[in-house]
Amino acid sequence: MIATIKAEWRKSRFRPAFLVSSGIIAGITVLIYSINWYLALHPGSTERVANILTLYPDQFVNFVMGAAFPLGAAMAIVVGALFTGSEFGWGTLKTTFTQGPGRLTVWAGRVVVFAAWMFIITLVLFGIGAASSVVVALFQGHALTWPAAVDVMKGMGAIWLIFFVNGAIGMAIGTLLRQPAAALGIGLIYVLAVEIVAVRFINLINNGAYKWLTEQFVNQNATALAQSFTSPAFGRTVAPAITAEHAVLVLAAYGMGLVIVAAGLLRLRDVT
Amino acid sequence: MQNTTIVETHGLTKRFGRGVLAVDSVNMSVRRGEVYGFLGPNGAGKTTTLRMLVGLIRPTSGTATVAGCAPGDPKGLARIGSLIESPGFYPYLSGRENLRVVADMASVNRRRVEEVLDIVELSSRAGRKFGTYSTGMKQRLGVAAALLKDPELLILDEPTNGLDPQGMAEMRKLIKDIGQGDRTVLLSSHLLGEVEQICDRVGVISNGHLVKQSTVQDLLGEEGVLIRAQPLDQAEQMLTTMFGNDAVARQDGALHLKVKPERSTEINRQLVSAGIGVSELRPFERSLEEVFFQLTGEKQGS
Repeated sequence: MIATIKAEWRKSRFRPAFLVSSGIIAGITVLIYSINWYLALHPGSTERVANILTLYPDQFVNFVMGAAFPLGAAMAIVVGALFTGSEFGWGTLKTTFTQGPGRLTVWAGRVVVFAAWMFIITLVLFGIGAASSVVVALFQGHALTWPAAVDVMKGMGAIWLIFFVNGAIGMAIGTLLRQPAAALGIGLIYVLAVEIVAVRFINLINNGAYKWLTEQFVNQNATALAQSFTSPAFGRTVAPAITAEHAVLVLAAYGMGLVIVAAGLLRLRDVT
Repeated sequence: MQNTTIVETHGLTKRFGRGVLAVDSVNMSVRRGEVYGFLGPNGAGKTTTLRMLVGLIRPTSGTATVAGCAPGDPKGLARIGSLIESPGFYPYLSGRENLRVVADMASVNRRRVEEVLDIVELSSRAGRKFGTYSTGMKQRLGVAAALLKDPELLILDEPTNGLDPQGMAEMRKLIKDIGQGDRTVLLSSHLLGEVEQICDRVGVISNGHLVKQSTVQDLLGEEGVLIRAQPLDQAEQMLTTMFGNDAVARQDGALHLKVKPERSTEINRQLVSAGIGVSELRPFERSLEEVFFQLTGEKQGS
């Protein structure tokens, strides 16, 4: 198992998809901070303006949660699909499966390394978010006060879970379809369209009698979890219908379920 | 030890879905220490058979034992090196880094990476990304990866595929070198000359059936002598008298004589002293190509 993790890490540490994703998440975080900073200082005639208070270090956890979702989730699907789907196209799966470790051991190592990369991307997000908030605070002459360490940990844990579960969607579809392109396309269409349409449709049936069903959808829970990190500075007053605890449980179940399904596919199917 | 088998299959069969019967009841045995050629036209079932031997695909029926284990068993895989179809590596990593990934996966010491790079003469270009490699370099890296575990059994599936004549010659030399000593090499190919030059024994597969398995020599048949002489009838009569009816056959204006080529000098002397003009006298043996087409039922030159 250790050997497999070592091999998976060696091959993934310079993988362009992960490096580019980390760069994109860093760039997007800086961009969103910059735009909000500009809008906060130049409100103009628009009704909704950014609140400068949300850009300071004490609010950075809440801010990056909003900044990272759903773009980060979509990116995780793409990376997940590339991570597993490309192995079929490159023929590397057969190289791996003929070295000795069993298929499930290889898959376990792969999941561990993917989870580690999602954590690295989460660290980048929070690191860049924290740095951006410091820059804004220093320019605005605001005191550098930080959120409690436990809140930072909770925020990072929540974002990691959201990224990992969405990545698992990509990994499972990549394994199912044995290629990355269609996998990432289907994953993105599901998250950006299918789930949204399905939720709206189900909510319309019988005056919302089946709303409980929509509360089991993956990104309904991801959204609820991200929105559970907020404060009065963000102006949101309506509490999400799904509790953070429920969201964590549902997302964890999705994560485990998708990893197990993909493991089963890898274990049972021929490598042609 | 030399005569024990390292690969043995009984009724090995693979059907894809409900339709294509890719491999049909193959009974194959590869002995330790030999270079075994697995010969067949494209689509005959060679790659499917080899994939079953390394556990990449599961047989529909039948059994196989490879290096003393069931196909795909980690203990067996630890003793097998393989290059199945095309070499599969990460294009964004260098050749060396790709081998290190494989070495980590197989729990092989990192020093072995440099050793196998030396064996396949790729050390100087091991720092380049795999995606920039030529076909020949990719194939050699594939062989290097297969050698990492210093395997008892090396399975190479059409390793000269896509190579130019020089690359093919280099690969053949490499396989010959690798096949020295105790290591067993199972080499699949549709190139008859390649198999004839490298292999001790061959198995011929056609339409999923193993139609023949023997040494190259047995497959080529008895040795003989080809004679062109004038007058031919007189030469035939004389040789029949000397060696018997069964030993002489007339074919394409020449006589095929089933005798050891070492007797050529004696035959020539007899014919010439009887006033028969000999224009050609040489050892004759069937080419593997002829045998192959005969066994697989394919038409030569088609």
